[in-house]
Amino acid sequence: MTLYHFGNCLALVYAPYHMAYKFSGISEYATFSKCVHAGGLYIFTQLCKMLLLATFFPDTDSSHITGEYNVFLEILKATVDFADLLGIYFALNSVPGKGHAKILTSAIGWASAEVVVTRSVLLWVGARGSEFDWRYVRSCAESNVSLLHTAATAALVWLWTRSDLPRKHSPVVITLLALSPYRGLIEEAIGSILSLSAWALLALRAIHASAVGLTALGMYAVLAQQIGI
Amino acid sequence: MWLDEADGFAEIFKGYLPYYLLVALPIFIIMSPVNPVAASHEFSVYRMQHYDLHTVPHGCRSASFNLEGRSLTSWSTSRHCVVARVQDISIEQFMEIRSKAGALLLVLPKNDTVLTPEEKEHIQLLEMAMIQQEVSAPVYFARWSPDFEDILRDLQHSFITDDKSGTALEAMMNSVSSNGYQIVVSASTPAKLDSKPVTLHGKLVGRSGSAQTIVIAAHYDSSAAVPELSQGADSNASGAVAILELARVFSRLYSNAAVRGAPSILFVLTSLGHSLNYFSAKKWLEEQLDSTDAALLQDVSFVMCLDSISSAPTMTMHVSKPPKPGGAAHSIKSRLGVNINHKKINLADELLAWQHERFSIRRMTAFTLSSLQSHKDPARSTLLDTPSESAIRNLADNIALTARALASHIYNLTDELNQEDAELYNDALGVDEAAIRHWYTYLSSQPRAPQVVTTTPPNAGVTGALERALSRYMDVTVSTHTVDKREPEFTLYGPTRASLYVYSVKPAVFDLILTLAIVAYLTIVYFAIQLFPRFYEEYAKIVTGKSKVH
Repeated sequence: MTLYHFGNCLALVYAPYHMAYKFSGISEYATFSKCVHAGGLYIFTQLCKMLLLATFFPDTDSSHITGEYNVFLEILKATVDFADLLGIYFALNSVPGKGHAKILTSAIGWASAEVVVTRSVLLWVGARGSEFDWRYVRSCAESNVSLLHTAATAALVWLWTRSDLPRKHSPVVITLLALSPYRGLIEEAIGSILSLSAWALLALRAIHASAVGLTALGMYAVLAQQIGI
Repeated sequence: MWLDEADGFAEIFKGYLPYYLLVALPIFIIMSPVNPVAASHEFSVYRMQHYDLHTVPHGCRSASFNLEGRSLTSWSTSRHCVVARVQDISIEQFMEIRSKAGALLLVLPKNDTVLTPEEKEHIQLLEMAMIQQEVSAPVYFARWSPDFEDILRDLQHSFITDDKSGTALEAMMNSVSSNGYQIVVSASTPAKLDSKPVTLHGKLVGRSGSAQTIVIAAHYDSSAAVPELSQGADSNASGAVAILELARVFSRLYSNAAVRGAPSILFVLTSLGHSLNYFSAKKWLEEQLDSTDAALLQDVSFVMCLDSISSAPTMTMHVSKPPKPGGAAHSIKSRLGVNINHKKINLADELLAWQHERFSIRRMTAFTLSSLQSHKDPARSTLLDTPSESAIRNLADNIALTARALASHIYNLTDELNQEDAELYNDALGVDEAAIRHWYTYLSSQPRAPQVVTTTPPNAGVTGALERALSRYMDVTVSTHTVDKREPEFTLYGPTRASLYVYSVKPAVFDLILTLAIVAYLTIVYFAIQLFPRFYEEYAKIVTGKSKVH
């Protein structure tokens, strides 16, 4: 719409990331470079994924034209997102320090890189034009949800790497991790079955992310008490 | 490790990130294009007529605008573009918009066959009123589409029209939740079109020894408030189709020396009709009569003009001088069995009434056959002049009637004696309804406004098609006329069409409220992060079932 509107959207995207970084206590570890490192890993992972998709998967543009929605192909493509988990694993390993610092640093770095790569161009081109669309505000709000989700996933990956994870928790962790690449597909499937509006879908995403986040937090709390951090 | 060493630098970078953005953003803004987004709605729109006739300006004089869209009831200043359905706007409203509003966008009816006769008459009168004078604001017409329906509905309901209705809060809420539309047309400034009107004529030569000539003429352009949308099915695709069909019928008769008629028949198709004062006919007559070799029009028996002959199964003969009994025109009249409408030529009028007046001025016996009763009928120049099935039937009947009357005049038969003769007639003079339908449909599907017809080269478009069709029956001559440089009889202007972009926008107050909402949300996030350690403690207690041991 206007530059002012762009400012609004930017505030909605940037401020939660900034606050998460400042007030979660990780800034005291002087870990900004670690965040940047995690972001670099994100970009590297995406490049690898693109290479995989371009090499092994058929051209999706032609199927868009015919309008067919190949469920099997979509699931296969989502499977490639397991590379994300691997990327987060490397990001966690590169961060020194305690568990929560590892998790938050790599999650914030990872999610920031994602926002910059996927949303900044859209916002810059879209929100500043004279056309108004709720889409841009929604996309900004979505980036907040994705921060939450990345944090939850990073926590799960961290839990999975721990050898002292309580035995009864490990199936939950593995199930949640295995499902995490497919979350976009699952959310969209539910959305289309219930024919949800875009805002309702966003709410669904937020609920999903907080549910996964709370579960991960619970297991983290148990483990943290065990090992005494 | 180098990443650890970079921490110092990173700290500086991090501390200044927001200030850094203040510098970076303006640089980005300067570098990026002004309006990088395409509008969500893009339409083809057609500009209203724009021409000068004898240097008197008519129609809309400008082309581009970038204004806020408003409905008929809510617009107030010249910063608004009025968007309305063409059937909703009254002539008084148009007059007010003409003098005060910034622009006008009219949406045509979805389907003009469902209009009531009153609505049709209203639209025709509105068109006449619009063309009558010049309009300084840009006026555009658009075809109906579902997107336009939504925009029209939004515009009608989004603004409180009466200031006193509703409280201030209500008005504010309304203006926040409403969708505004910014309407943009960027077209080149109106410029003169290089107009080259033409006349096509072809002659079927009669028996040698007789020099008499019968002229059959029609103009093939159409006239309406919007050049690109003027289909002109009745006026005057019907006349042009009749010329082609009569040419076909008589070329068959004249190809055989035994049944060739005495007089020659000259078929004339002129490219400019009543909207531009029959300019082609005038120029063509000047060329033919004033040249040294005036053989073509030396001894004209009569001139028959065909104009709008498909709106009714009957025709009227319009003359500027009552036909003398015993004359050729009277003979045709009695053979056709039509009524006469006598109207004297008034040279003081801006426009001549019918094409035959151009010939009558040059002292030829001339008349016009038309289904219309009066030359002032608004149906002659309207957007609603579209093809219809009943019109094809009327047209075929009228062509058959004319062909038969002409033939009986040429061969000087008093009446058909018996059944056998009648069958012979039907066989020789039968009209080809398929060909009529084909040509009528083709011509009425093409915009044939002067702006279109006279700017395409003579061997292309409608003119080229007509020439090729006519040259199947006879040798066709194409004469191109030029407009006087110093005192132009008429001037046409383009562009005739443009692209319209509609941006949905929100009022400035909406952005302020959005800012407040975002600030509120961020405050909640801030407190959520601040309270997170306490929440974690409580949550850990619940999960582990005991308080933290330390």
